[in-house]
Amino acid sequence: MCLTGGHDKYHNVALTMLGEFEYLLITTAAKLGNEAYGAAIRETLAATTGRKCSIGALYTTIDRLETKGFLKTWMGEATAQRGGRAKRMVRVTPKGVQAARSFYEAIASASRGASWAINKARVPS
Amino acid sequence: MILASRCFDLVCLLLEPEEREAVQGDLLEAGESGWQSLLAVLGLVVRREVDLWRHWRPWLAAFGLALPSSFLLMGFSLSVSRAYQQLMDAPIHHATGLTLGPGLMLFLCNVLLLAAWSWTGGFVVGSVSRRTVWVSAGLCFAPCLFCLERFRVESLSRLCLLLFLPAAIWGAQRGLQIVRIRRSSALALAVGVTALTVPLWTSSGAWIPNWALSWPAWYLVATARRG
Repeated sequence: MCLTGGHDKYHNVALTMLGEFEYLLITTAAKLGNEAYGAAIRETLAATTGRKCSIGALYTTIDRLETKGFLKTWMGEATAQRGGRAKRMVRVTPKGVQAARSFYEAIASASRGASWAINKARVPS
Repeated sequence: MILASRCFDLVCLLLEPEEREAVQGDLLEAGESGWQSLLAVLGLVVRREVDLWRHWRPWLAAFGLALPSSFLLMGFSLSVSRAYQQLMDAPIHHATGLTLGPGLMLFLCNVLLLAAWSWTGGFVVGSVSRRTVWVSAGLCFAPCLFCLERFRVESLSRLCLLLFLPAAIWGAQRGLQIVRIRRSSALALAVGVTALTVPLWTSSGAWIPNWALSWPAWYLVATARRG
């Protein structure tokens, strides 16, 4: 699913839908907060999705999201663990939060009623 | 392992300095092996290159300008070399050491035109797509090698084909450095180039496709910065 910027004529709201990987990346970066940088995002993504993410996919997606204004990146501190090399820190912008929320709501809305969707009301405690 | 590490370092050089540092640090932190790191960086480099070629600029620079201009400028270089040879062989030159008149003027115009066409073409190639300039350079040099191999004119040196190269390389260097030139300079250059083509209209050696070499000069005018 990947919708680019557009306009919903029924609700008169600007749509900025993300791709699946873009959404995962923004969500992971948001969860990591001040600790969001390349290696940490890769590790968290692998732990949560069970799939290893390549450096190429990660950095090209970060660049794309930064161009769209959903992320902001800057060079952070260097650590001995990284051989004295600096981290590329990532922060989700308010626009990125809005885009992730829109994506989440669209997925949740589209999934309602589907057999595989979790209906909280029916989940046994 | 050492080989992988060396290859990794070499491939990393293709990345921008800041990205190189971040990627190398990430891979070190993740504890990936030499070959895994090499593959990871290769993947990133390939993705970066593919991304560049999604825009029209690299295609224009490489296939719309560098490749066709290379053939045309080689032809014009040869034409200028022949004109020089004829000028030097003229009887009046042998007799007095002086050659004046319309032949000399046309020759000088052609020399200037060759330099101007080459410089503006190189400048546009350098400024339109800086990060793919090596592909454009390859597409410019490949026809040169092809023609040098097949060059069979005994009275002329093969290097005559490459007369355009110094100005083209200089132009490309300037294009990489400053990207845009001032509108007044661009306009003067374009008018100069167009004016230099006027004597060619009347000469027998004029070749219509060469007019295409003037568009980079007018492109510079269209994209020039004000002030």
